[in-house]
Amino acid sequence: MLRYIARKAVGWFLMIVLATNLTYFLANAFLKPASNYTALRPPRTPAQINHSLALYNLNPNTPVLDRWWHWMSGIVLHFDWGRSPTGGSVNDQVAYRILVSGQLVLGSTILAIVFGVALGVYTASRQYKFSDRAWQGLSVLSFNTPSAVAALAVVLGAIALNQALGTTLLPVAGAQNPDVSGFWGVFASRFTHAILPTISLTFISYAGYHLLQRSLLLDHINSDYVRTARAKGLTRQQAIYRHGLRTSIIPVATQVAFAMPALFTGAVITETVFAWHGMGEYFVKTISTNDVHGAVAVAAFGALMTAIGAILADVVIVALDPRIRVS
Amino acid sequence: MAINTPSHGPETDSPLPPDTEGAHTGETGRRKRLSPAKLYLRRFTRNRPALAGLVLFFLLVLFSIVGPFLTHWNYQEADFTSLSVAPGVDGHLFGTNGAGNDTYAQLVHGLSRSIIIAVSVSLLTTTIAALFGTTAAYFGGKVERAMLGFVHFLLILPSFLIIALVGTHYRGQWQVLVVVLTVFGWMLTSRVIWSLATSLREREYVMAARFMGVSPLRTILRHLVPNIGSLLIVTFTLGVASTVQAETALSFIGFGVKQPDVSLGTMLADGQHTLSTAPWLFYLPAVMVVLLTVAMALIGDGLRDALDPTSQSGGRA
Repeated sequence: MLRYIARKAVGWFLMIVLATNLTYFLANAFLKPASNYTALRPPRTPAQINHSLALYNLNPNTPVLDRWWHWMSGIVLHFDWGRSPTGGSVNDQVAYRILVSGQLVLGSTILAIVFGVALGVYTASRQYKFSDRAWQGLSVLSFNTPSAVAALAVVLGAIALNQALGTTLLPVAGAQNPDVSGFWGVFASRFTHAILPTISLTFISYAGYHLLQRSLLLDHINSDYVRTARAKGLTRQQAIYRHGLRTSIIPVATQVAFAMPALFTGAVITETVFAWHGMGEYFVKTISTNDVHGAVAVAAFGALMTAIGAILADVVIVALDPRIRVS
Repeated sequence: MAINTPSHGPETDSPLPPDTEGAHTGETGRRKRLSPAKLYLRRFTRNRPALAGLVLFFLLVLFSIVGPFLTHWNYQEADFTSLSVAPGVDGHLFGTNGAGNDTYAQLVHGLSRSIIIAVSVSLLTTTIAALFGTTAAYFGGKVERAMLGFVHFLLILPSFLIIALVGTHYRGQWQVLVVVLTVFGWMLTSRVIWSLATSLREREYVMAARFMGVSPLRTILRHLVPNIGSLLIVTFTLGVASTVQAETALSFIGFGVKQPDVSLGTMLADGQHTLSTAPWLFYLPAVMVVLLTVAMALIGDGLRDALDPTSQSGGRA
């Protein structure tokens, strides 16, 4: 098993390296870091601009292969992902932002899985009844709602709620209040700030699990072994949970692992709307400020997430499905 | 979903008196000669949500075509005498935004822009995916491995980031957006099509064509592609829904369609800062985009049920 994972990991690592390097050259071709300096007053000459950029290994007059070699050796030797056109370290930014994004994405993923799978089981055991149809209608709607619409609708609702109560119960911007102190103060502030973005991310992602779990469980609910379990004397609920659900949850687990990168791009919109300084917001910022090294770091992070998701999917399948043996 | 109305089911004529045995067999004999198109139509129209989706999509397209002729405002011109007025004020049916643009005119233009982008991207990706997948499956061997390797390579590239890079570089022309969304949108579909076409290539008629010396291109176009036609139709419909979502997301964060052009995504981005002062700037495009994606998803699900020969969800037909 460990050897199997190691072999997969090596393959994915090579793909990440390839994707990251390709993004480096594409970003160099399409982003113009010099534009960060052209608006400065007093105006700088092109020579001055290039001199400033050369400090951060972004000088457009240096051959791109030389710059690439410098950038690559920085990563390999010191794990230094370079600097932004104005001198900020990419490493510092990413290290902080991964934590911010992580709590948002992780929280809403767990909620979406629990809610979606539970709803899938509930509706599958009531196929074609009113509750099944009502939930399915809601899920089709939420599955097809763009994340921008979902996030803004949540904000609109929260504003109406706050105005009706006359106090700011649910803050709609930022990850925490800047003026709180103490462990519990910070914790409470972070928690209340996380409620709205988590709701909007969960709303757009639960429906995929619901619809998948429902159709898979319906395939298994009438199979021989569930009927055998009923014949042995188990109640219908016991038979569904112990025998039907256990086999039908395997593809859902794979779906979860592969949904991680998609959630990351979904979080771009959510973080922009709720003004969270996470990886999604960093992605928008690096491109609009022509930050070559930052954009490449975002790409590498995305590829790493995909790889972790794919390897997790393999591990989960092997762990859950007794028919698959890795030797 | 089996919405099995009793008037349509074949069970309705089962309580026939025994003396009309001959008439009964004649009846079933006639029923058996149902052409595939009629069968699909019958199964599709039985699915009420899918039918509602089709009507909705038709109305949206009609609105985007006829809509511009129902107002004297242009989506680009600004009415400086009425900035951000509420719907119905000063002759602006849906109000105006902060720059004085008529929201109705923008909405009609944005809707048609979103539909054009989504339909052309989905059409192109489905075509490329169909040709690529079937070609890889037809040739097999080294060609197949090389083509699949190319697909896997494109799949791991950070496509969202590259689309944003290229999109900002060309300052939001919608034609460029169509190209980049197509270039990075066909791979997953072509992989699915390839896995289906690998079983098709072993069929007798494909073998016969191969040994008769029919050229590969002709075999692919005449025998392989038509046999995955139903999958292609469903993929196309669902692709429209997902492209609308992608375009909205890109335009919303400023990497897709840009000023002075308008799409539903840019309208949402405009509306996000005035949620409490001018909420109509948000909810009008939001309702439009959700109606569009939900309509396409319902049509796609209905088509899948109608075209799938093993599907029980369309009921018996």
